[in-house]
Amino acid sequence: MAERYDLAIVGGGPAGQAAALALQGHGLAVAVIDEQPHPGGQILRQPPREFGVTGWMGGKVYAALRRQLGQFEALSGLDWLGGRSVLGLSRSSDASFVLTLSGRSGVETLRARRVLLATGCQDLAVPLPGWTLPGVYAAGGIQAFVKSQQIVPGKRIVLAGTHPLQLLIADQIVAAGASVSAVMFAQSRQAMARLLAESPLVAARQASALLPAGAAMARLRRRGVPVRFGESLLGIVGGERVEGVRSSAGETACDAVGLCYGFVPQSALPRMAGAGMRAAGPAGGWAAECDAWQRTSVAGLYAAGETTGVAGAAAAQCAGRIAGAGIALDLGLLAPGAAERRVAGVRRAHAKHLKFAALLDRIADPTGHFPVMAPSTIVCRCEAVRLADLVSCLDGRSANAVKLASRCGMGPCQGRNCEPTLLRLLGDRADPGFSARFPARPVMLGDLAAPE
Amino acid sequence: MRKADVLIVGGGLVGCATAWHLARGGAQVTLLEAGDIGMGASGQNAGSLHFQLERRFLENGEALAEQAARTAALSRLAIDDWRGLEAELGADLHVVMDGGLMVAETAEQVGVLERKIARENAEGLATRLLDGDEARAIAPYLSAGILAAGFSGDEGHADARAVTRAFAEAAAHAGAILRMRSPVTSARRLDRGFEIACADETLQGDRLVIACGAWTAQICARLNLHMPLFPVALLMNATERTAKGLRHLVQHVGRRLSMKQTHAGNILIGGGWPARLAQAPDGTFDPRRRPEMIAASLAGNMRAAIDTAPFVAKLNLIRSWTGVTAISADQLPIVGEVPSMPGCWVAGGGSAFTLGPTFARLMAQAMGGRAAPELDIVSPARFEHLNSFMG
Amino acid sequence: MRIESKVERQAPFSLQVEGETLRAYPGETIATVLVERSPVIGHMANGDAQGLFCNMGTCCLCMVTILPEGRRVRACLTAAEPGMEIGLG
Repeated sequence: MAERYDLAIVGGGPAGQAAALALQGHGLAVAVIDEQPHPGGQILRQPPREFGVTGWMGGKVYAALRRQLGQFEALSGLDWLGGRSVLGLSRSSDASFVLTLSGRSGVETLRARRVLLATGCQDLAVPLPGWTLPGVYAAGGIQAFVKSQQIVPGKRIVLAGTHPLQLLIADQIVAAGASVSAVMFAQSRQAMARLLAESPLVAARQASALLPAGAAMARLRRRGVPVRFGESLLGIVGGERVEGVRSSAGETACDAVGLCYGFVPQSALPRMAGAGMRAAGPAGGWAAECDAWQRTSVAGLYAAGETTGVAGAAAAQCAGRIAGAGIALDLGLLAPGAAERRVAGVRRAHAKHLKFAALLDRIADPTGHFPVMAPSTIVCRCEAVRLADLVSCLDGRSANAVKLASRCGMGPCQGRNCEPTLLRLLGDRADPGFSARFPARPVMLGDLAAPE
Repeated sequence: MRKADVLIVGGGLVGCATAWHLARGGAQVTLLEAGDIGMGASGQNAGSLHFQLERRFLENGEALAEQAARTAALSRLAIDDWRGLEAELGADLHVVMDGGLMVAETAEQVGVLERKIARENAEGLATRLLDGDEARAIAPYLSAGILAAGFSGDEGHADARAVTRAFAEAAAHAGAILRMRSPVTSARRLDRGFEIACADETLQGDRLVIACGAWTAQICARLNLHMPLFPVALLMNATERTAKGLRHLVQHVGRRLSMKQTHAGNILIGGGWPARLAQAPDGTFDPRRRPEMIAASLAGNMRAAIDTAPFVAKLNLIRSWTGVTAISADQLPIVGEVPSMPGCWVAGGGSAFTLGPTFARLMAQAMGGRAAPELDIVSPARFEHLNSFMG
Repeated sequence: MRIESKVERQAPFSLQVEGETLRAYPGETIATVLVERSPVIGHMANGDAQGLFCNMGTCCLCMVTILPEGRRVRACLTAAEPGMEIGLG
């Protein structure tokens, strides 16, 4: 790794790869940083190089993403900085950005004239009675085990929530040889069908995006996996680990649960940088605001993909290409007309994907389906703050004030898990949530200390 | 128009504690806070109870050290106040007063410690010098490089987040009106008393207490008063929780360091490392906006912590934060009635966690007609020369 | 449960978790080794059992200690290595 780059891309998923590819040939010094050792993002989280996996992510859904990943991995002249977390970014006196990274070799800093944040999203954490029992996972966490580590963290798994992705995850679990006890959608099937019927054109044009979920459901049905609608989670039961779930339809035995109520942008870095943010959507969270070239409100800082709103990998690829052209434009490598021509088709595709994402947002909307918490339900896992501890200090305060009063959000995750829940409880739409603090990920003191 | 005996601007520790003392003495008190209670320096500081002379008083010349030593009388009162506070407020404030160590790593620093302790003892503070082995005997976590330590058996820490909240609750319980999210929009002196307005209410009071930290000088300016309090931005850091092992407040006589372990198990590390104050578009400092962290401050603070207590090197930092406090032109707090504006009281200028409950108690006592000569050393009278031009 | 079909792994190695000897395959993360052992990977601030949650480095609930050096890392982002000693808690 060098000390200075023209561009640092944070995130090697669909958006980050697309931006790097769009900028190839311009002679820029580019670094791509990712917490995973290999590129792909969560959608194509690669198996370790030591594994031999036949037909990995072979479905047609993933074909375009696999192709782009192949092109990205073949790129020469960019520095792939995998296995590193970005702890923070600041502005140096020469107007470049300073990124603080941590990884196996300790803490490193790099400077970049421009930074593109393509950090993706995370599962929305949804508190309910029993959700802290070992064996309860974010659905995306289970899927990452299946895709990358080639394990299934349970023998009988229940997936529950409101997001159709759980059909694909269940399908992948079954294909891997484990058993899915049930897939539970909190919303009714009729409500989902009605939303599709309300947007027939969007649905029809994006049939290819809907088909996999439908095909997955058909396969699950054939294998006898119950896919049930209008079934709300009431609680997860077990002694020291998951033994089953209680739902509106009764009890289902299982040894693992995947919660799938939607996704929220990874927003720590744009918030730390002071970029303008907006409420991300029905699942909650904060999205970085950008203009038509993916510029944030902070000069030189760009964002693309799900950092700017959860809209799927195809939309992220488009946004990455637009960001690449925008960065080339701003660096004087492309004339305005040429930049616009380069992305004209991409913009049309992007708009189409965003329309579909908006439809999916409505279908998957967890609002109104969040499980009912008990007073003893833990809202902040890091600090073990219960709902009852919070209720006494909600009286019209800001999220930051509740944090100070209750410790909610004071732990190692910096409130990434509990913030959406707290903001729902506060119900103040103007509350910007917790102040973003350094470091975005925990880091060893000894790695940060000045040399002796 | 609502009237009160006392209007207080600032819902931090001193404002809330003053409101409590006055209200339970029977006064009608209204407190205006621009944001939420305890969200400024009162909630952002790391909760040190420090009674040894601070390093900042020792490295700026003999005259300041001598003057600062005379605040020892206030420290003696504060020790008693803190020992009784949890019982008096009926709240668990996680007050721990198991002692504090101010360490030295060089012979020169040991010399500073010796002179400091002589001064403190002369002022009646029971601090004593330990050699390195004595220090490690009571604080085995200290590095082998520690040559000596000043020890005060009364030092320690408390939960800064809980203390201001407890004062606020006690004040409300005693009848004080605490208005949150009510920034002051105007302030003026009347023939008798003061008038303060926020967005939806105008209030009059016989007395006014200005205790709003970094904003104190701005509120004073609305009353045509100079108050030499300057915003400064500082860095604080918290590690992940770890097993209890650091019982004391640990400070350093020659380096910027303050370190303690909270009730929950996090180790809080600070000590006066600067952050960068945000600036408004017109170039003035803007204490409302979050100050920017300075990388060198973080690296230096971590190094000082590790050199002092090596075990912290393996802990994860989970949060660094910056906060704004105010320091006065001569580093000493400014607390008391403004001589040229009777009825106007000011409290600001640092040390307001450790000494805050005492400042509040003494101000309320003096307003009640019982003199509080202990406050003379920190009176705003010493800056009256600035206001001689203000008419 | 390790997926067996269509996956080839290299020869396993052993490592220690809380003094217990476990088998792992090259390329596996510490999280994988832990989850194969038990869903319980430590305890929460209130003493209750802690499980893994996000498996992508975000939730920070899977901090483990690499012994003897004492470095604390996120298990889901850290590769298991032969002879490693891992402390939970």
